[in-house]
Amino acid sequence: MGDSAYSFSLTTFSRTGKLLQIEYALNAVANGRTALGICAQDGVVIATDKKLPSVLVDSEHVQKIETITPKAGFCYAGVGPDYRVLVKRSRKSSQSYLSEYGEVQPVHQLVTDTASTMQEYTQRGGVRPFGISLLVAGLDSDGKPALFQVDPSGSYFGWNATAIGKNYVSAKNFLEKRWTEDMELEDAIHTALLTLREGFEGEMTAHNIEVGIVKKDGEFQVLQPNQIQDYLDEAN
Amino acid sequence: MTAGSQMNANNLHEPAAGFDFSNYLRNQNLLQTDGAAPKLKAKKTGTTIVGTVYAGGVVLGADTRATNDTEVAERNCEKIHYIAPNMYCCGAGTAADTENTTALISRQLELLRMDTARPSRLVTAVTLLKRMLFRYQGHVSAALVLGGCDLQGPHIYQIYPHGSTAKLPYTSMGSGSLAAMAVLESSWQENMTEDMAVQLVQRAIGAGIFNDLGSGSNCDICIIKTDGTVDYRRNAVKPNELAPLRAQVQRSGRLNMRPGLTPIIKSEFKPHPVVAAGGETAMEVE
Repeated sequence: MGDSAYSFSLTTFSRTGKLLQIEYALNAVANGRTALGICAQDGVVIATDKKLPSVLVDSEHVQKIETITPKAGFCYAGVGPDYRVLVKRSRKSSQSYLSEYGEVQPVHQLVTDTASTMQEYTQRGGVRPFGISLLVAGLDSDGKPALFQVDPSGSYFGWNATAIGKNYVSAKNFLEKRWTEDMELEDAIHTALLTLREGFEGEMTAHNIEVGIVKKDGEFQVLQPNQIQDYLDEAN
Repeated sequence: MTAGSQMNANNLHEPAAGFDFSNYLRNQNLLQTDGAAPKLKAKKTGTTIVGTVYAGGVVLGADTRATNDTEVAERNCEKIHYIAPNMYCCGAGTAADTENTTALISRQLELLRMDTARPSRLVTAVTLLKRMLFRYQGHVSAALVLGGCDLQGPHIYQIYPHGSTAKLPYTSMGSGSLAAMAVLESSWQENMTEDMAVQLVQRAIGAGIFNDLGSGSNCDICIIKTDGTVDYRRNAVKPNELAPLRAQVQRSGRLNMRPGLTPIIKSEFKPHPVVAAGGETAMEVE
């Protein structure tokens, strides 16, 4: 990367002061399948639409929610391959953190580290920004649950609840009405599933969505389809 | 592993991964020069470590003495290191080498577990360890007994500092390995129960503790079962307790005198004279 022919950045300012490549990257995100997250008192939940283009696709090999550290996980909206690169890099970087400091990387550190990588790709020679927005669910060093969003520009935001991808505006409105400060993780999971169902095309089943949770004092886990089915049954 | 540091995208030096051997040639030269710097010595652990397979998993055992030549550097150190949820590793040799090597491979295995979404296998750990140790040509002084249970069953491996490995039903390593092996050879049997295996390991480590000067203090035990549970018994046996010995020491009653035993005849208080500001200070900062 950074060949002599492309030692200049491809993301350059427009006359009006915008970085168009980042704007376009955000468009790619807005075209991606919906992902949302809710931060409750005692944990965080992230969920995403995993609707596959055809019944022939083997859903077992599609994974959108990934564990990064024992205490944090990612979800995304946008370009899948870009996501895989970031997941691999962030996992490795967390192990370096573990090696250096002797403890699991807290979610805030993970977010700033990942965000600075994403920012690098808006300023380095010969590369384009990542076409994804990330939702990061995890626990901080004192065990407190937190939810973050990281954008292609490298900016990150802490959220109580948020949505990205298609229909994110209506999803966020839905969440705004339902999020409360004393919400518990179980309620949050139900609310997340309801919100996802709002904008879902067709029938939502345990096999065309993915849900990841991390409980306070617990570990990040991606729910199995049978666990999701239990929540869906309760919601009905 | 890359040698030396590299410039990253922001033109900042990034530290090289792994061990840095850039001083090796310098050290060799120092040793050859007459009357030069004292011979550099690595801190070694004399040790007794043992591992055995039994009917329901594996049992690992280790003593807890860390030595610096003839001095006991630590009386109760931990020699059974975590590698993966289903694997632990006993380490003999240089303490820093065993700890850092096992930690490095442990992190690599965690990355692999996340990538493959599968539990780690012992052959993976053995391969990663032996490849690394061979690359360092024995300079990383880590002699390991690796034990655990994976989808293929319970396994014990021994790994030497130069990178050779052996898969065995039972083994011992460290300066106390002969004493421990004597016990193992006389009593080991196939398909032992958990209690039999633990007793055997405790006796083997005990042989090392009492007959080898490089080993001593307590015995740590780690049982890893084929169902995935781990029973880490830190200080499972403590045959060398100091407290009863200390209690026997006769200490003079004059060490515990209550305040007020010495009568005060006269008392006088003079505040210390204050030196005027601007006087000479002992240390000039600028």
